[in-house]
Amino acid sequence: MDESHARKFQKDLNAGLVALVLLGVLSRSAEDLYGYEIAKQLQKANEGEPLFKEGTVYPVLRALSANGLLTSRIVPSYSGPPRRYYRITAEGRAVLADWSGIWRQTRDFVDRFVEGGDE
Amino acid sequence: MNRAPRSIDEYLRQLREVLQGADPALIQDALYDAEEYLRAECASHPEKSEADVLELIASTYGAPEEVAAAYRDTEAKVNAALRPVIPRATESPNPLRRFFGVFSDSRAYLSLFYMLLTLVTGIIYFTVVVTGLSLSAGLAILIIGFPFFLAFIGIARVLALGEGRLLEAITGERMPRRPVHPGARIGFWTRVGEMLKDPRTWTTLAYLLLMLPVGIFYFVVAITGISIGVALIAGPFLVMAQHLGWDFNDGISVMQPAVLAAPLIAPFTIALGVLILTLLMHAARGIGRAQVVLARALLVKPGM
Repeated sequence: MDESHARKFQKDLNAGLVALVLLGVLSRSAEDLYGYEIAKQLQKANEGEPLFKEGTVYPVLRALSANGLLTSRIVPSYSGPPRRYYRITAEGRAVLADWSGIWRQTRDFVDRFVEGGDE
Repeated sequence: MNRAPRSIDEYLRQLREVLQGADPALIQDALYDAEEYLRAECASHPEKSEADVLELIASTYGAPEEVAAAYRDTEAKVNAALRPVIPRATESPNPLRRFFGVFSDSRAYLSLFYMLLTLVTGIIYFTVVVTGLSLSAGLAILIIGFPFFLAFIGIARVLALGEGRLLEAITGERMPRRPVHPGARIGFWTRVGEMLKDPRTWTTLAYLLLMLPVGIFYFVVAITGISIGVALIAGPFLVMAQHLGWDFNDGISVMQPAVLAAPLIAPFTIALGVLILTLLMHAARGIGRAQVVLARALLVKPGM
């Protein structure tokens, strides 16, 4: 089996899903999170072979922020450049609810053919 | 393929290399994010050396090539989503529509607003820089002279970042969204030395100074164009209204020379006014673009 097929498939899937996961993480978090914290939370939940590289999280965070789904503020840090903390906006929550619905529908649809195809 | 980076500086250098040719502002953001992650990762593993942490980075954060690809892809997707392709009158094959299509281009209005605003921002920038430089020079013999100078350079950088954000809002051209962070973890004095050697520090000050004369010029062009254009369009109507018995208390509805409002000439007067306003809108759009080129050259670190 060619490894690159799997990687390409995973990359295509991640294109939209990373944004959905990030909205989910930030909506569950009581406090604002910065890029590194979010990346670590995802890594912890994602033992073994990671589904996506943590470096891909940052540009998506910025894109969500540019679209008004997240707000951010900058806090100085001792360990490096100032950190950008993100928080989900009301619009972001609305989009998350919307996208979760689409995700569930998509997942169930795909499962009908891939998992439970013996019905 | 680069060899695996062994230090944060090396990683950032490789990332910069891979991103070569991309938008300078995107590169600045990508380097900033990578550094935040790498430094936080090193700080949370104090027992490991920087080289050991970096060894695992390709499997967690991603190799420079992967990270670069992620930024390129996301940027392209976001731009496509934020700026849907609408058939623009400015791209119509009909030259007349293209010429007047500028009135349906929101960027032209924003640029015109920017031209008016530059007088204000130009005065502020100029005052800050002149005050900062002369106070730095004057206080140089005192102990607070140097810290004052550093604070002043910091303020100048914030102003430069703000100007970039303003230009991005107006023209839609990508400008840096994060401040530049010096790459290496170096001592305070080395950092100050780097800053003094960095040509961007001085070109930033030059840009801020330059914005006063440039701002005055933009303001004068915009105000002159708007007033002459609007006057030529409105004048004949006001004179006509007066002929129809409309009473202006202060009698301002006099057009000099009066022939401009004469019935046969009036349509040409109005057309001239429309022409002037249209040319002004084109000029505004062009100036907005030119200003971005200037700001990129002087405010954004070259080669980044």
